[in-house]
Amino acid sequence: MPEIRTGVYVCHCGSNISEKVDVAAVVDFAAKLTGVAVSRDYKYMCSEPGQELIKKDIRELGINRVVVASCSPRMHEPTFRRALNAAGLNGYLLEMANIREQVSWVTLNPAQATQKAKALISGAVRKVRSNQPLEEKYVEVNPNVLVVGGGIAGLEAALKIANSGNQVYLVEREPSVGGNMAKFDKTFPTLDCAACILTPKMVEAGQHEKVKMFTYSEVAGVDGYIGNFKVKVRKKARYVDLNKCTACGDCEKVCPVNTADAFNEGLSERKAIYKLFAQAVPNVYQIEKKDKPPCRVACPAGVNVQGYLALTREGKYREALALVRENMPIPAVCGRVCFHPCEAECRRGELDEPVSINAVKRFLADYENKQGQPPVVNPQAKSGKRVAVIGSGPAGLAAAFYLNKAGHEVVVFEAKPEAGGLLRYGIPEYRLPKDVLKRELDYITDSGVKLRTNTRLGRDFSINDLKKQGYDAVFLAVGAGKEQNLGLEGEELSGVMSGLSFLEAANSRQKLDVNSDKVLVIGGGNAAVDAARTAKRLGAGSVEVIYRRTRNEMPAFAEEVAEAEREGISFRFLTAPLKITGKAGRVTSVECQQMELGEPDESGRRQPIPVPNAKFTLAADYVLVAIGQRVDPLFGGSKYVDIETNSNGTVKTNQYYLTNVLGVFAGGDMVTGPARMVDAVAAGKEASRMIDAYLRGETMPEREQPAKGQKEPLTGKKYYEVLRHRSPHLAVDKRGWRDEVVAALSEQDVMAEARRCLDCGVCSECFECVPACHAQAINHQAQDEYVDLEVGSIILATGFENLDPAVGVQWGYRRFPNVLTGLQFERLSNASGPTGGKLLTEDGREPEAVAILHCIGSRDKNYQEYCSRVCCMASLKFAHLVKEKIKAKVYEFYIDMRAYGKQYEEFYNRVQDEGVNFIRGKGAEVLEKSGRLVVRAEDTLLGAFREVPVDMVILNSALIPRRDAGAVAHLFSIQRSRDGFFLESHPKLEPIKTATDGIYLAGTCQGPKDIPDTVAQAAGAAAEALEKITAGRVKVSPITAYNIAERCSGCKTCIAMCPYKAISFDEERKVAIYNEALCKGCGTCVASCPSGAARMRNYETDQMLEIIEGVCAV
Amino acid sequence: MSFEPKIIGFLCNWCAYTAADLAGISRLKYPDNIRIIRVMCTGRIEPSFVLKAFASGADGVLVAGCHPGGCHYQEGNYKAYKRTLLLKKLLPQFGIASERFRLEFIASSEGEKFARVVGEMVGQLKILGPLQTAAVRIAELDGLFGEAEGGTGGGR
Repeated sequence: MPEIRTGVYVCHCGSNISEKVDVAAVVDFAAKLTGVAVSRDYKYMCSEPGQELIKKDIRELGINRVVVASCSPRMHEPTFRRALNAAGLNGYLLEMANIREQVSWVTLNPAQATQKAKALISGAVRKVRSNQPLEEKYVEVNPNVLVVGGGIAGLEAALKIANSGNQVYLVEREPSVGGNMAKFDKTFPTLDCAACILTPKMVEAGQHEKVKMFTYSEVAGVDGYIGNFKVKVRKKARYVDLNKCTACGDCEKVCPVNTADAFNEGLSERKAIYKLFAQAVPNVYQIEKKDKPPCRVACPAGVNVQGYLALTREGKYREALALVRENMPIPAVCGRVCFHPCEAECRRGELDEPVSINAVKRFLADYENKQGQPPVVNPQAKSGKRVAVIGSGPAGLAAAFYLNKAGHEVVVFEAKPEAGGLLRYGIPEYRLPKDVLKRELDYITDSGVKLRTNTRLGRDFSINDLKKQGYDAVFLAVGAGKEQNLGLEGEELSGVMSGLSFLEAANSRQKLDVNSDKVLVIGGGNAAVDAARTAKRLGAGSVEVIYRRTRNEMPAFAEEVAEAEREGISFRFLTAPLKITGKAGRVTSVECQQMELGEPDESGRRQPIPVPNAKFTLAADYVLVAIGQRVDPLFGGSKYVDIETNSNGTVKTNQYYLTNVLGVFAGGDMVTGPARMVDAVAAGKEASRMIDAYLRGETMPEREQPAKGQKEPLTGKKYYEVLRHRSPHLAVDKRGWRDEVVAALSEQDVMAEARRCLDCGVCSECFECVPACHAQAINHQAQDEYVDLEVGSIILATGFENLDPAVGVQWGYRRFPNVLTGLQFERLSNASGPTGGKLLTEDGREPEAVAILHCIGSRDKNYQEYCSRVCCMASLKFAHLVKEKIKAKVYEFYIDMRAYGKQYEEFYNRVQDEGVNFIRGKGAEVLEKSGRLVVRAEDTLLGAFREVPVDMVILNSALIPRRDAGAVAHLFSIQRSRDGFFLESHPKLEPIKTATDGIYLAGTCQGPKDIPDTVAQAAGAAAEALEKITAGRVKVSPITAYNIAERCSGCKTCIAMCPYKAISFDEERKVAIYNEALCKGCGTCVASCPSGAARMRNYETDQMLEIIEGVCAV
Repeated sequence: MSFEPKIIGFLCNWCAYTAADLAGISRLKYPDNIRIIRVMCTGRIEPSFVLKAFASGADGVLVAGCHPGGCHYQEGNYKAYKRTLLLKKLLPQFGIASERFRLEFIASSEGEKFARVVGEMVGQLKILGPLQTAAVRIAELDGLFGEAEGGTGGGR
C-alpha cells in the first residue's frame, strides 16, 4: 500500500472564515498531523486558482488524500471532487471540514473558533487516510415527466417539456386544470384578463399529444429514485364518463341539490353535478359525493332521505315517493308510526332543529292518495319461482313486496282474519287509521302479491306442506306477538289482561266494557302508552300507568307520553307491582312496591331497586299488563315446524337470514326479538335480496354494512333560515276513538322542511340525472381507479391557498356578509362570476365606499411572519377595478407598499392618480356601526386613530402552504421550510431543486410569488427535467452498503432494516446479498449488523471511530 | 478557567446537518463546544460510536436526525430512535449519566432549534461537570474497540 500523503487546504472564504479563524495557526496545526504532506491556505479555495493549488500538489507532490477546510460540503463537495478527478485522483479521496457554516459564522470568540476548526480538520485528516477510491455510478433516466398540479406553474412546465417531444403526465386534484389563476379577474399590472392568457394554455395542454392529463386525481404513492420513479395515481370517481360527457348540461337542469360553489369561493351555489367553470379543461361534468348523510345511515331500512327531500323541494312528489318505496314499501304507515332515527341524526340539528323528515314522507304518501291512483309496480320478468311468506307484519310485507318486484310469485299467509300484523292489531287507530293501512296493503296486493288470511302455520299447514305445494322458498316473519307475563299472584283474575290482547280487541272493534272504571296499566313501553290511551278513549274513568323506573328510562316515545298526559292519563313512576288482589274472581287492587334507581345495568339504564318498607295498594277495575313481547314459544316447539330456536324463542338464522332448513328464511321480530317497525321492514327487504339470490342460484349477496357516519364540518352553504315545522295535533277534547291525532303538514310547510335540508351529502343519489343524460355518461356506482406511471423526473407545482381570514375575529370575516377575501372579490369582479362582474353588496346594492386591507395574516407574528409578496399589487388592482366599475370611494390600508417588479411602481402611481385613498396603517378591526361596516386603523402618517365607514371590505390574506403540504412533502420525501412551503435545495443557487434528486419545484408551493416569477420558475423546473432527459443518465452516489459474505451469519437483521429492498437472502449460501444499485446509502443495515459483515463505503466503522477520536483529540 | 464541555454531534446529512448549516447561514451564535460529525442518516449510528466519543473525551453526545415521518431514507430515524432507548439504559452502567446523551429531531429548516439544543446541552453539561471516570471504565472494557478496529474495521 502506498504511503498516505495528505494535502490540507484551508480556505479564507474572503474574510468569512479568516475573520474568526486564525487560518495561519490552523495551517501550522494541520501540517503536523499524521500523514499530512502539505498544508496550505488560500483566499478562495473554490476559485479556479484555489482548485489549481490542489491539482498542482497532486501532480507534483504526489498528494493522494485531500482535506479541504472551507464551507459546508453540501455546497462545494462536488466542486472539489471534480478538481481531484481532473488531476487524476479519485474524487472520493476527499474529506471536507466545515469551518464556515459550523465554525466562523456561529462562533463569537476567535480563539475558540480556531480551536474548533482544528478539531474538525483533525477528524477529517484521520478519516481520509482510509478513504477508498469509488467508481461513480450512473442510472438511466426515464424520459417521462410527472407534473403535479395543473395551475399556471404546472401547465407551463408541462407544455415546455411536452413541446420538447417528451411525455408528460399532468396530475390535477380539481376536476379542471387552471388552478387559482383561473379564478382571477385581471392580472396586475397590465390588467390582462386572467382567463384570456390562461385558457389558451389550458386548452393546449388538454389537446397536446404528449400531455396525458389526470384531472380529479391525486398522487397516491411514489417509489424509486431519480430517473426511475414509480408513481401511483388515484383517479377519483367522477361518476361521469369523461369520454362520453358532451358537457350539454342537461343533467345539471334536473339535479335538485344545491351546494356552495367553491370555485366562486362560496359566493354562489351550484348543483351536485357540475362543471367546475365554463372554460373547464377537460370540458366535462362530475358529481360531488360526500360520505352518506347521517339520516340515510341512521335509517335501518336505508331510505334515501336526502334524495326524497331534494326531489320534494323540486315539487317532484311522485319521484320522491318512488325513491322512498325503493326501501320502504309502506311509506304512509312509516310516515305515521316510525319514530324516525333519521331525525335524531339530522345535521340540521347542529344548527337549530332537525328537518321534520317523517312528516315529509307522510305528506308524500298522503298526497299520492289524494291525487288518485298510485303508480303501477312493474315487476321484473317472471322467474317461475314461488315463495311463501308467513306473516303479514311489516317484515313479511316488505319481503313479499320486493320478492314480487324481483319477478317471483309470492303468497303471504296470515293467521289472523286481516293482514298487517301488529300494524293492524297493535297500533291504535288514532295513530294509524285502518284506511291508511288498507291503502298500503292494496298497493302491495295490487302489485301482484297474493294474500291468504285465516291461515295459520302449525294449525292449517306445515312447512313441508308448502314444499309439497311447490314453493321454492319460505320466509318466516310471524313476529313476536306474545305478551310477557308478570308472573305474579292474581294474574289469572278476571279484569287482568295483556296490553296486546286489549289493543287487539279494540282494533278488532270488539266491545270492551271499561266504562267509568279505574284502569291500571303496567309497563313503560309504547304498547303500555297505546293501551292506556285506548282505554281512555273507550271511556275509562281514570287511567294510570305504573312503571318501575322513571320517565327518563321509559322506552315509549316521549311525544306519545306527553300526548297521553295531555289526554288526562297519569303516570306513577318508580312503582312495581307485587301482587294482584281480587274479590270473587275479579280484580280489585294491585299491591305495589316503591322503587328507587340504583347502578346502571348492562343496557345502561339504572336498575330499579326496592325501597325498604314502602309498599302501598292501588285500586283497579282493570289491569293491563304491557311489559314486553316475545316470540310465541309454541312456534319453535311446534311439531309442524322443525326450525331451530334460541332459548328465548327467537329463530336462529345465519348471515343470509337462512334458518337451519334449506330454503326456509326468517327475519323481523321473530329473529331479533321485539324491535321497531322500520327494523322489521329493513329485515324483510334485506332477506328478499338473499332469497332472490337463492332462488336464482346466485352467490348470496353480502349483507349491507352500515355506512360510516359523516363527520365533515358543515361549511359554506347558506342555509334556509326557517325553524322546524311541527305537525298539527288534534285538540284533546276533539280526540275520538278513531280520529287521527297527528295531522299532516301542509304542502307549504313540507316544501319549507325540504328546503331546510342542508344537503350535507351533496349528491343525494336521487338518480334524476341518469335518465336525463342522453349520452349515458353517468354511473353512480363508479369507483376510484388507480394508474401506475413510470417517470424519470417529478415537478411539484401544487400551489398555495389563502389564509382563512376568519382566524382573526377582529377582521369580521364570516361575521359580516360584505367582508370578502381577495379571491372572493376576484370572483365578484369576474365577468363569469356570480354577479356577472357587477360589484354588489350582499343585498344587491352598489357600495359607496370600499376598504382594501393589506397584510391580513402576512407580516404578522401571530399568523405568518413573511410577506406574501403579491398582495400589495393585487390590492392596487382591486382598487383600480372598483374605480373602473363604480363610483365608490376606495381606501387602501397598508403597512408598506411593495411594488418591486417591472411596471409595478408605475401601476402604483397610476392607481394613486385614480383617486384612491392610501392610509398607512394596518386595518386593525372591522366593526358594524349603524348598518355600515367601519374599518379601524392607526394612521401612522397622521399619528391618529381612524374609523372609516365603508360598505365592503376586501381582506387580502396571506398566501399559505396548502393544508396537506406536510403529507405531500412526506409522500415525495422532500422537506419544508419553517414557513411550511416546500424547501428548495439552496435558497439562492438552487431555488428549483429539492433535497431529493429528480424532484423539482415550480411556483407558489415553494413560496409566495406572482405569476411572472411562477412562470419563470416553471420553465426552470422544466429545464432541470430536460437536462436529465437529454443527458440520458444521472450520476448517483457510490457511497453504498455492501457486505463481506464470509462474515455474514445469515441472521437477516439487515433485510428488515432496508427500506429499498436492496438486500435479499441467498438461501443456498445462507448469506445476505446486497444490491448496490438499489442502495441509497443510509447505512442503517450496517449499524444493525451484529457480525460486522455489513459495511459502508467510506463510512466504515473504523473510519467513524477515527473521526471521533480525531475531533475529540483537540 | 471554567469548565467547557466537549460535545460530539452526529448529524444526519439531510435534516440536522442542513439545520446546522442554516444556523450558520443565519449567523446564529451558539456555543463552540460542539464538534459535528456528518452521517448520511442517523440510522448509520452504531451505539459504539457514542461510547467511543465518551471514551475519547467527549462530555456529551448529541444525535440529531429528521423528524418522525421526515427521514430522507423513510425510516432510518426510527431505527436510530429505538437504538437510543437501549443506549440510554446502557450508559449509566458505564458511569455516564444518561442526560449526557441526547437524541433530537431537527428539520432542515430548524436552524434555531439546533442552536438552542446546543446551548441547552452545554448548560446541562456544565452542571453535570466533566466526564472523567467513565473514559477509564470504557477503556477498561476488554477489547471493545480493539475488537471493533481489528474485527469490524476494514478498508485499510
